[in-house]
Amino acid sequence: MSIETNDVLGSLSESMERLSAATSLLEKTVNWLEQREVSMTGELLKITAAVEEKPRPEQELERKLAVAEQQIAELRAAAAQGVTARKTVPAATAQLLAKQGITTLDSVEAGALDVALTGLSIEQRIAVKSQLMRAGALV
Amino acid sequence: MRLDAMAVTMPEVEGHPNRVPFEGVLTLVDEPSNRAPSGARGHRVILTRAAALSALPSLLGMAVDYTPRWDGHDARRKCGIITEADVAGNQLKVSGYLFGRDFPEVEQQLTRGAPESMGMSYELADAHVADMKAEVWTLTRATFTGAAILLREKAAYRSTAFRLQGKRCRTVVPMERPVRMAARHSAYGRGINQGLQILKGKETRCL
Repeated sequence: MSIETNDVLGSLSESMERLSAATSLLEKTVNWLEQREVSMTGELLKITAAVEEKPRPEQELERKLAVAEQQIAELRAAAAQGVTARKTVPAATAQLLAKQGITTLDSVEAGALDVALTGLSIEQRIAVKSQLMRAGALV
Repeated sequence: MRLDAMAVTMPEVEGHPNRVPFEGVLTLVDEPSNRAPSGARGHRVILTRAAALSALPSLLGMAVDYTPRWDGHDARRKCGIITEADVAGNQLKVSGYLFGRDFPEVEQQLTRGAPESMGMSYELADAHVADMKAEVWTLTRATFTGAAILLREKAAYRSTAFRLQGKRCRTVVPMERPVRMAARHSAYGRGINQGLQILKGKETRCL
């Protein structure tokens, strides 16, 4: 009789251990599921059922191209104005420079100009140089 | 019983110059949006029926707004108010009043525009997404903060609608079926109880 009781107690003890292990495993599973749910779910502060109109890449490129073309046109116009705005030198100044050997007014070096203007007063030299600078001829 | 309808009792004023009744379909429930709504990070969304029903109390008293180009929301251009909302089939229907005298351009757009060209867009706050990794996000909880009137082509849900009501008849009926509250002891639940107290008797009113 005592042997049977011991067997029963032994089996009960074994069953208890199994139940304890199963319970522990279930708790771990529940924790894992809760953590998984937290990582899957999310909250949105605001959502509106209107479609956001995002510019297509082609439209954005076209816009940038138009801006660049406009800038190029403006730069070309500015460069052309710089050339056409070139003024001629007064005839008296041109004759004076011609007497000193300066016949072309496209580009006049400062050293050659000083030599040519040796006989002029300081005010006259300043006036001639200013005219040449406005004409874009003084290098 | 499942409470599918809710309304704010508005006192009648014959010939009110600023009340222009409207009705519309705000959204579909248990149906994915046709396109991604703003704020959904490119995902289409599904508003569940349960989430819509729970959020119905938050929709009443909210405003409808518009933009001059009828293409989105502008909370600073509130032009009307929602007074009734119900879920019929897979449609969340709303009705209310536009402030017609304050916003004559809204009424003009609706009367002169192409028929059935206008739709609606909801605005939700604190929306709970069941699975952020899913391709289509399912919203299981949300709070309505307003709605917009816009061109149907600008709406995430193509099947929305918005139109003026020529003559509005409301029938107030008693709740014959038992009610099951989403949150029996919540503020919303108490609000529902108060609303049910008002819905007694049967009366049809045509405005």
